[in-house]
Amino acid sequence: MQVFIAQILNGLSIGSVYMLLATAFNLLLLVAMIIHFSYPQVVVFCMYIIWLVLKITNNNVFFGILAGVCSAILFNIVSAPLFQKIMKNREEVDINATMVLSMAIGWIITDVLSHAFNNGLPIQFPEEITGSKPLFRVGLISILPGQVLALSIGIIVVAGFFILLYKTKTGRAFRAIAEDPAGAKLVGIPLVKTGFQSYALSGALGGLTAVLLIMLFHSASPGLGEQVSHKVLAVSIVAGLGNLVGGLVVGLALGILEALVQGYISGNWSNAIAFVVMLVVILVKPRGLFGVKV
Amino acid sequence: MPLSLYYFLSITAVNILMSWALYVPYRVTQLHFITIANMMISGYLAGYLVLHAHVPFVWALLIGFAVGGIIGFIVSLFIGDAPTFSVVIVGFTSIYITRTLVENLPIIGGTMGMFGLPNIGGNPGTHRWIILCILYGLVILCGFLIYRFDHSSIGRAASAVFVDKELASSLGIDIKKLGMLLQTFSCTLAGGVGVLYGFIYRSFHLDFFSFALIGVFMTVLFVGGYSTQWGPLIAAPILYGLPLFFPPEVQSWRIVIYGLLLILVLELKPEGFITRKFVHSLGLSFSQKREKEIYIKEEKQ
Amino acid sequence: MKRLVATLLLILVAVSFGFSQTKVVVDEWKIPFLNCLTGPIAAIGEFLQWGANYAANEINAAGGIAGKPVRVIPVDTGNDPQKGSVEMARIVKDNLVAMGPVPEPVILAAMPIAVENQMMSITATTSYEYAVQFFPWTVSWFPPTLDRLPPLVAGWAKQFSDLKQVVQFIEPYGPWPGMADAHSKALTSLNIKELKAIEVPTDAVTFGPLVVRALDQKPDGIILVCNAEKAAKIIKELKSRGWTKMNHILVFSSADDAQLYSTGGADLNGVQVYNYLNLEVSNPRWDKFKAAFAKDHNGQMPFSLSPNYYDALYMIKEAIEKTGVTGDPKKLKEERKKIADYCANVKGFQGLLYEWDMKDGVPTNKPSYIFEIQNGVKQFVLEVRP
Repeated sequence: MQVFIAQILNGLSIGSVYMLLATAFNLLLLVAMIIHFSYPQVVVFCMYIIWLVLKITNNNVFFGILAGVCSAILFNIVSAPLFQKIMKNREEVDINATMVLSMAIGWIITDVLSHAFNNGLPIQFPEEITGSKPLFRVGLISILPGQVLALSIGIIVVAGFFILLYKTKTGRAFRAIAEDPAGAKLVGIPLVKTGFQSYALSGALGGLTAVLLIMLFHSASPGLGEQVSHKVLAVSIVAGLGNLVGGLVVGLALGILEALVQGYISGNWSNAIAFVVMLVVILVKPRGLFGVKV
Repeated sequence: MPLSLYYFLSITAVNILMSWALYVPYRVTQLHFITIANMMISGYLAGYLVLHAHVPFVWALLIGFAVGGIIGFIVSLFIGDAPTFSVVIVGFTSIYITRTLVENLPIIGGTMGMFGLPNIGGNPGTHRWIILCILYGLVILCGFLIYRFDHSSIGRAASAVFVDKELASSLGIDIKKLGMLLQTFSCTLAGGVGVLYGFIYRSFHLDFFSFALIGVFMTVLFVGGYSTQWGPLIAAPILYGLPLFFPPEVQSWRIVIYGLLLILVLELKPEGFITRKFVHSLGLSFSQKREKEIYIKEEKQ
Repeated sequence: MKRLVATLLLILVAVSFGFSQTKVVVDEWKIPFLNCLTGPIAAIGEFLQWGANYAANEINAAGGIAGKPVRVIPVDTGNDPQKGSVEMARIVKDNLVAMGPVPEPVILAAMPIAVENQMMSITATTSYEYAVQFFPWTVSWFPPTLDRLPPLVAGWAKQFSDLKQVVQFIEPYGPWPGMADAHSKALTSLNIKELKAIEVPTDAVTFGPLVVRALDQKPDGIILVCNAEKAAKIIKELKSRGWTKMNHILVFSSADDAQLYSTGGADLNGVQVYNYLNLEVSNPRWDKFKAAFAKDHNGQMPFSLSPNYYDALYMIKEAIEKTGVTGDPKKLKEERKKIADYCANVKGFQGLLYEWDMKDGVPTNKPSYIFEIQNGVKQFVLEVRP
C-alpha cells in the first residue's frame, strides 16, 4: 500500500509538469491563437535566465523569479508576430506552419542553451529556490515542497485562468482578439493594450511555470524541453486543444499512468504504453476527451 | 566517383524520397510521421534477413516495401480520414513503440545496433553504384507517380480536401479512401527507403531513426515548398549540402542557422520557395500556351 | 677485382640506404578529429577537443612530429550519422590518419568508410564491442567489457560485508546493457543476489517511480548504468527517500563526467564510481595538464575521458616517427597501414597517466580504479589491474 501511495504521489508530481506546460500551451492558444509546440523549450529558456540572474545577484530569489517572468513575457511579445503572420486564416489555426515555426524556435533555443550557458552542462539551482528537504517522509513516501507547490499552484492557476477567460469581460476580450481582431476592434476592444495584456498574461504563466519546474527538477539541461514536448503536445491534443480543465486532468492522469507503468510494469515501455493509451483515446474521440475550445 | 559525392547524393536522395513520403499525405493536410517508424521496421527487418537469413538484398528490399505498405494500409483503416492531430499522435506513438521494440530485441542488435551488412554486388564500388541506381531510380519512379497523381482527378480531389475538407466531402470526394491511398503509398515508400538508408551505412542504429529526422524532412518540405513535388527536390540537396561548406566555426552553429532560415522562409514565403504558381508560370513561359494566351489577349484588346 | 666489386656493392648499399632514409615531405601534419561539438554531448566533445589541442600545442612546442608541426582539425559531426558519413568520406580521400568519431551512431555510419579505405581512425572513447567491428582500422581504448568490469565491481562489492542484494538502474543505450551484464557476472561470482533491474527510459526527467520500485526490493547496494545527468538525479531521489549508505552506490564509468558533478553537487558525497583516470597520480605532464585544464575550465578538474585524445595524438606521433612515415601522398596506402599496425601492437606506450601495451588493438594492462566522491573530488579507494 505504501508503495502504491508513493507511486500515486510520484505520478501527481510528473503530472504537474505536464499540467503546467499544457496549461501554458493552451493559454497561449486561447489568448493569441498560437500553437507553440516548442513552448516547453521556451520555459526551459526562462529557467536558464533565472539561473543566470540568481548567479549575478547572489541567489536573490525575488530577482530570479522576476527575471523569469519578464523573459517569458518578452519572448511571447517578440515571437507572437512571427506566428500571427504565417497563420493563413483566423477562423482556423494553421497547425502545420505553426508547428514547423515552433520547431525551428525550439531548435534555436536548445542549441543556444548548449552553446552559450555553462558550456552546455546541466545547471543546478540553489537551495534557496528549490527547497530540496522533504516536507513529509514516511518510508518510501516522500513529499517535497516543490511537488506540493507545483500541484497546488497549477490547479489554482488553471481555475483562475478558466474564470478569467470565460467568466470575465477581460477574458472575453482576450479571446475575441485572438479569434477575430477585426471584429474585436469593431466592438471597441483596444487591440494593442488588450493584446499586450494577453501576451503578458501567458508570459507570466510561462515564467511561473519555469519557477515551479525549478522547484520540481532542481536542475535543467538544454535538452529538457525536447524531452517533454511530445508528451505535452499529446496531453493538449488528447484533452482537447485549448481546454484548460482538460489539460489539467489529462496531464495529471498521464503522470499517474506513467508512474504506475514505471513502478509496476517496465521503465522502457512506459512511453510506448502512455502513447498507445493516448492514441486509443484520440481515435475514439478525435476532438479530445473534453472537446476543443478554439 | 569521389566517396563524399556518393554519400552526398545518396543521403540527398533519401531526404528527397522521405520528404515526398511526407508531401503525399500532406496533400490532404495529414502529417504522417509514422513514416519514420516504417523506415525503422523495414530497415531492421531487411538487415536481419540479409545478415542472418541470407536472403538476397533484392528480396529484402521488396519485403521492406511490402511491410511498409501493409503497415500503412492497416493503420490507414483507422486514420484515413482522421484529423491532423490524431495522425501526428499516431506517428509519435509508432515511433516510441518501434524504438522500444528494437531496444529490447537482441536478435537485431538491440541498443548496440546492427553491424557489418554485406556489400551488395560483392565489393564496395559495385555496392555504391547499385545503391545510387536504386535510389535515383526510385526518385524518378516516385517523381513520375507523384506528378501523375498531382495532375489527375485524385490530385485535384486532394487539393480540394486541403483547402476545405467539408466542402470536398460534400462534393462527393471519399476522404477516407483518398487518405488511405496516400498514407499507404507514403508508408510503402518509407519502408523501402529505410532499407536503403541502412545499406548506405551498412549498419543500423536506433539513432539513425530519431525524432530529429522528422525535423530534417519537415524542413525540406516546408522550405522547398509543400504545395508541389518540386520543392523537396530542389531543397533537399541545398539544405543538406550548404552546411558542409560552412567553415568549422560557423558549422557548430548550423542548427541555429537552419532554424533561422526556416523562420525566414516561413515568414517571407509561407508556402516555401517553389509554389504551384511559380511552377505554373515557369511552365507557361516555356510552353506554346503562352503564345496562345498572348494572341487571345491581343484579340480582346 | 673481387675487392673492387665488393667495394662498389658496399657503396651502392650505403647510397641506397641514404636515399631510403625517411624524409618527411609534409609541411604540417593535419589530423582531422571527428568530434561531437554540437548536440546533447557537446560539453564532452569540448573536453575531448581541448585534450587533443593541448597535445598538439605540447608536441609543437617540443619540435613537432618528425620536425614538422601538427594541427588537429576539428570536424563537427554532432550526433548526426548523415554528417559523419560525408565528413569521413571527405577525410579518407587524402588524410593519413584521423581521430574519432565520438558518438556511437556516427561511429557506425562513418567507420565502415574508414575501413573500406584502409585508413586508421582512433575511436578512443567507445567500448571494445564497437571498436572491434572495425579492426584493424581502429584500436580499442578499453579491453572487452566482460573481462574489464567484473573485477571492478567485485572490488567494490568486497568492501562491504553487508552487501547481499544489489539492484541496477539500466538505461538502454549502446553498450550499457552489456556493461550491466558484466556487472551481473561479478555479483554472481560473489553470490550477491541481483534484484530485478530498473529500466531507465532514455527521456526520463523525473525518477521517483523508478527509485520507489528499486527501494521496494530492499537492496543493500545500487549500481547506476545510465547517463551522468540521470545518475545524479537518481542519487538525489534516493537520498530524498532515505537512502543513507552512499558508498553502497556505484556509478559506472560512462556516467563519470562533468554532468554528474554539475547536477549532483554535494548529494554525491560518499558515492563510489569506477573509472580509468586517477587524478591523484602525479607526474610532470599530468600535473601540467590538470593545471591547464583547470585554468581553462573555471577550476574544474579533467573528467575521465579528457586525456583519451591527448594520448591518441601522442600515439599517432609515435607511430609516425617510429615507422618512418613521410606523409608522401604517393605512399598513402602503405603509410596508413604502418600507422595502423604500429598502434595495434604498440609496446610500452607512455600515456599521460600510465604506460600500457596494445595487443591486436586491445590494451592489455591498463589499470582501473574505484573512487569515492567527496565535495566534487574523486578520492582514490582501490586500483584494479588485469
